[in-house]
Amino acid sequence: MSEVNSRKAENQSLTGKRNKRFLEVRKPVSRRQKILSGVGIWAVFFAVWYLSTHAGWVNKLLVPAPEQVFGSLYELIAERGFMSDIGISIARVIGAFLMASVVAVPLGILMGTFPAIEAIFAPFVSAWRYLPAPSFIPILLMWFGTGEAPKLALLFIGVIFFLITLVMDATKNVRAELIETALTLGANRRITLFNVVLPAVLPDVMVAMRQMLAMAWTYLVIAEIVASTTGIGAMMMRARRFLNTDEILAGILVIGALGLLFDLLFAQLHRWLFPYLREKR
Amino acid sequence: MSDALLTMKGISKDFELADGSAIRAVNDVSLTVEENSVCVLLGPSGCGKSTILRMMAGLEDPSAGDIMLKQHPVMGPARERGMVFQAYTSFDWLSVRKNVEFGMKINGVGARERKEKAEHFIKLVGLEKFIDAYPTQLSGGMRQRVAIARTLANGPELLLMDEPFGALDAETRWHMQELMVQIANEENTSMVIVTHDLEEAIFLADKIIFLSAHPGRVKEVIIPDFKDGKRIADKEHIVQLPGYAALEHKLMRLMREEGERE
Repeated sequence: MSEVNSRKAENQSLTGKRNKRFLEVRKPVSRRQKILSGVGIWAVFFAVWYLSTHAGWVNKLLVPAPEQVFGSLYELIAERGFMSDIGISIARVIGAFLMASVVAVPLGILMGTFPAIEAIFAPFVSAWRYLPAPSFIPILLMWFGTGEAPKLALLFIGVIFFLITLVMDATKNVRAELIETALTLGANRRITLFNVVLPAVLPDVMVAMRQMLAMAWTYLVIAEIVASTTGIGAMMMRARRFLNTDEILAGILVIGALGLLFDLLFAQLHRWLFPYLREKR
Repeated sequence: MSDALLTMKGISKDFELADGSAIRAVNDVSLTVEENSVCVLLGPSGCGKSTILRMMAGLEDPSAGDIMLKQHPVMGPARERGMVFQAYTSFDWLSVRKNVEFGMKINGVGARERKEKAEHFIKLVGLEKFIDAYPTQLSGGMRQRVAIARTLANGPELLLMDEPFGALDAETRWHMQELMVQIANEENTSMVIVTHDLEEAIFLADKIIFLSAHPGRVKEVIIPDFKDGKRIADKEHIVQLPGYAALEHKLMRLMREEGERE
């Protein structure tokens, strides 16, 4: 009996209203709490970083202070032409990603629509997916030398096979009733593909591309670290030679910021292109 | 009743299982759908009523037997046999108007005729206020109205409906059933409707084909003659007619017998 009462007391304030508790199962938090929490975790991160460098808990040569990293980022951009490295990296990602998409998106949609096409390409594509793209770097360097080609090829290989599979699966998820509705309205194969399957799958294709773009950034850095004299990754490898850890961290910061920026751009593009999905009820 | 629109003769359907053996879903079904009539396929789950409808639509090929629409054998899906599904099939990327115009557009109907017909059928299903809305802004019942208007606007000779109101709440279903009676009366549309809802069957049908299960076959063909050949678009009225209760009781008994056979 007393246990019941004390449990009641835990849940009720004097006015009889339920007390707000910090942890509630699946209760959404307010927008204000969300922003505060998000800013808070980063504030803690920078505070720990700042403290540990200034209190001398870590070797300053290996872990430079945050303001030092931002300082050298400014210096890199303002005085040492880092913008052109950033530009080259972005161009590589976009170029290779577009090439991969131009092949992967149509092929994935065709494979998801026509089982006969899937039967041809699926055994091939799924085998390639299990080969890590970086394992091709030595042979790519032998084939293409040291220019842009091996970097673009690495990104292309790293992205295309996963993108084909994601697009194919998304296409297979287009509901059978939509296709059958089109058929009973008198649609032929061409109309079914272009006027029903394609518009139905496009939002999911965009989501798949967004996921793979993040992957492209990963391969870009690998390519630039292993074999490049230009680009963000190459700058970081140069900095390593001179023990400039602040520049390495500045490079990481830029890659992170660019990844986030492209993700937000894709999300915005999704909202622009598919306004009808916003009204889901 | 008038001339035959669609006839099935000796239709059977076997589905192949993963282990290579076959299971018979529909066995030797023969039936006739008359022109300008509403035919309801009723029966317990597993009686193959949806499979029969899908064969009428041309979405499944029969393993044996013939299906004829007027004088022509049914081969594959076509515009003349439009279908409305239980699941929502609105094209989310098109407005209500464009959804309803879709069938006409792919069949080469001119812009002006498309517009006129789309507006007529959107009005018929009561969605004129939502003509430029996207389906994602509509409720489930409204989306089914879009699907019905889209199929009717395409001018099919036969409207096939597979448990079209199964996903709707009771009140919405009732409104939709009244709408279908109104459409049958005003547009003279021939329909085949699959349901397992006894009330719905009695309310909508000019003819009820009762199917039994495992495998599906015709058990009894019932004409609800208490309606005196009329279609009554008012559910409160129909349940009070003499003969309604007796028919409902009879269908319940048929359903029960099927259940006990399991």
